[in-house]
Amino acid sequence: MKKQRVLWICLVAVLSLITLPVFSQGAKDSAATGPVAIELWYGAAVTEAGPPPADWVGYSIIKEKLNIDLKLTALPSNESDQDVKIQAAAAANNLPDLFMVRRDVLGRLVGQGLVAPVDDLYAKMPIRTATHYDSVSQSHARFAGKSYGLADPGSINKNEGLLIRKDWLDNLGLAVPTTLDELMDVLRAFTYDDPDGNGKNDTYGYGAFQEINNYEAWPGRRLEPIFGAFGVDGTWSLKAADPGLMVLKDGFFDAMVFLKKMVDEGVMDPNWLAYKKDDFRAAWKQGRFGVMREQNAAFAAESNYAPFDKNFPNGEWIVVDAPIGPGGHASIGPYTASFRIYAISAKAEKAGKKDKIAALLEWMASDEGYYLLGWGVEGVNYTLDKNGVPVADQIANRDLAFTGSVGQTVTQLRNMVFYNGDIELLARYPKYITATSKKEMSALEVLRTMQTKTWTAAIGSDTLPIPNADLKRFYEQGLSEFITGKRVLNRTNWNAWIEQFKKLGGQSWNDSAVAFAAEHGLLI
Amino acid sequence: MDQRAQSSVLFREIKRHRSVYLLLIIPLAYYIVFKYIPIFNGQIAFKDYMALDGVLGSRWVGLEHFRTFIRSYYFAELLRNTLMYSFGKLIFSLPIAILLAIAIYESNRPHLRKVVQTLAYLPHFLSWVIMYGILLALLAPGDGIINDIVKALGGKSVDFLTSTKAFPWIVIFSDAWKEMGWSAIIFIAALMGIDPSLFEAALVEGANSWQRVRYITLPSIRPVIVIVVLLRLGTILDAGFNQIFMLYSTPVLSVGDIIDTWVYRQGLLEFQFGLATAVGLFKGIIGMALILFSNRLVKRFGGNALY
Repeated sequence: MKKQRVLWICLVAVLSLITLPVFSQGAKDSAATGPVAIELWYGAAVTEAGPPPADWVGYSIIKEKLNIDLKLTALPSNESDQDVKIQAAAAANNLPDLFMVRRDVLGRLVGQGLVAPVDDLYAKMPIRTATHYDSVSQSHARFAGKSYGLADPGSINKNEGLLIRKDWLDNLGLAVPTTLDELMDVLRAFTYDDPDGNGKNDTYGYGAFQEINNYEAWPGRRLEPIFGAFGVDGTWSLKAADPGLMVLKDGFFDAMVFLKKMVDEGVMDPNWLAYKKDDFRAAWKQGRFGVMREQNAAFAAESNYAPFDKNFPNGEWIVVDAPIGPGGHASIGPYTASFRIYAISAKAEKAGKKDKIAALLEWMASDEGYYLLGWGVEGVNYTLDKNGVPVADQIANRDLAFTGSVGQTVTQLRNMVFYNGDIELLARYPKYITATSKKEMSALEVLRTMQTKTWTAAIGSDTLPIPNADLKRFYEQGLSEFITGKRVLNRTNWNAWIEQFKKLGGQSWNDSAVAFAAEHGLLI
Repeated sequence: MDQRAQSSVLFREIKRHRSVYLLLIIPLAYYIVFKYIPIFNGQIAFKDYMALDGVLGSRWVGLEHFRTFIRSYYFAELLRNTLMYSFGKLIFSLPIAILLAIAIYESNRPHLRKVVQTLAYLPHFLSWVIMYGILLALLAPGDGIINDIVKALGGKSVDFLTSTKAFPWIVIFSDAWKEMGWSAIIFIAALMGIDPSLFEAALVEGANSWQRVRYITLPSIRPVIVIVVLLRLGTILDAGFNQIFMLYSTPVLSVGDIIDTWVYRQGLLEFQFGLATAVGLFKGIIGMALILFSNRLVKRFGGNALY
């Protein structure tokens, strides 16, 4: 009998050992004294580099100065994977104390009562609020009159441009196109007239891939200059005189007809529907097409430009104006104020951690935090040049420099301290000489050029209501079927499809968004 | 025998076979933690789940989530696509795995057998992310290897990955390619269990290779084939989320969207966990009904059923 009892006890003990970690999820920190533990899920600045090492000096400084035991977890680099991770944690009421989150997901968390309002924190973070949280930022994550997220400045506005292979234009004796018709002629020549002179039929006019978000609906960002030529770039028109979904405007059909013509004439890289972002970027570096919309750093930063430079030492991309369409419209695409939102869980608020989180964020905005998180330790990861800009080229061990493989790990939180100030931009985009062609390049100069081009103001369009999954699918699938030829693109079919779209909920989506835009002063 | 004596016998048995019972602990714990405890959370399917209120505290909504799913605009199409891929994979992949297993078993060149086995197993260990890269290199309309061959032969390139006609075949073929080696293992194991004297006797009687396969090999592994088919029927509404999620794109949604991808978009991304659970329950009930029905059919016709 005793032996049986022992056997049962052993069995239960082993099962408990295995199962206890599952049930202990979300258990409160037992330590009532000592440093306050704050769990932070951050968006990594360099997704291909690892997290800060366990002996990172930042941990000890934060513990010593703020009495905070910081626990870091990097979110997945892909936005939808981030959403899944956060929503899975939310479903188990196991959100971390502080976490980066997209606005759509934040809205759902607010509805569930899982995040804490942060309006009271702005006054507690005077330095950070001055540089990070202007009035647009404070309203960006506002739901039902309360701000539920600290919206830090995100990527820089208008940081993309329409680029064209200048060397191909020169080889073919063509001028830079200014109108849509001229662009079409150039695309045909790039496709059929062997612009690279290699004797092979291996080039195309326009390269793209489907990059979609809630303010740049299908076919997405990479084709906005074409839709901009018809005045229908972006998901939404925020013009007070004619607000609403672009797909319901007359010009959208004309833009679709033009895109279909590009596809049918074979001037679009035929892989565009199958490409993911990395495939697209590999393709332009391999010289597959001569016109594209690309981001300044993805195009001109040293490591990104290097493969193209090596493959085509005489190759040259230039940033050009958006082509002018038949009605005189032109735009590279819509732009909005971009933010990275950090939210505080209701659980953290309940545990009395809000003030500690405010102290942590305020310290990050101090000079000490700004340089430590932005570039690492002076003399180890960076030095300051004569203008006070952090530089990497004086660091003997290149791996330790903030641009090196080890140095990058200690700057993973830099997006929490950067606000697109001049020092950051100068440090991030230094001038350099390319390895093969010995050209001087600067992603900052490229950025400044891109920002001078014509864009469509759509501030707040990323905060408008989003459709349900079925309506979204109907919208995207329908448009893509018109382009791939599964549906015949003519006025009759188009009007019938629009009517069905409206019936399925498109009209009420449009109306609710227009009402939201009017209520929040987004119409211009 | 009284209850006390019965339990004493049980514990003596456990003690005698303690090493086997020790081996059982980990899988048992796995099933308790990941399969049985979550059954409690299945009630979310009938609730408006709010994380703060928890499973027990959330409001009952009856069959609302089931109605939402069945009345959704794409329900018929989702069901059709899911069944198309599930049955397509079953009909296409299973015979290939059986043929591969027989070919490997019948081969009398050990080195060739090992090479074929290794090459056939390898794709199973690649993720669908990598498989997509390989498929893109093979099938891209602009510069895919297959299309290069098609163009060299005077044909017109085919948009395999974005054409609604080609996409279902790509899904089924790529799954068969990736999984045939792994699926063949169970059949190879079954083949190893066939009494060699049967083959020796057949040889003496002058049976050729095809006759040996037809009259000895296939009948001998028939029980395993039946069991594999029965088990597959239980997950008939799982058409392979990872694969479809990686391969599909907007132009092929009409033939690529399956129940699981819809649940991902509608349930997980839109925070409708009740709906996602309801669909999971729906799939489970259909799968269980199919297993019970097929098992009964197999028994009625005198086959080797699951139980």
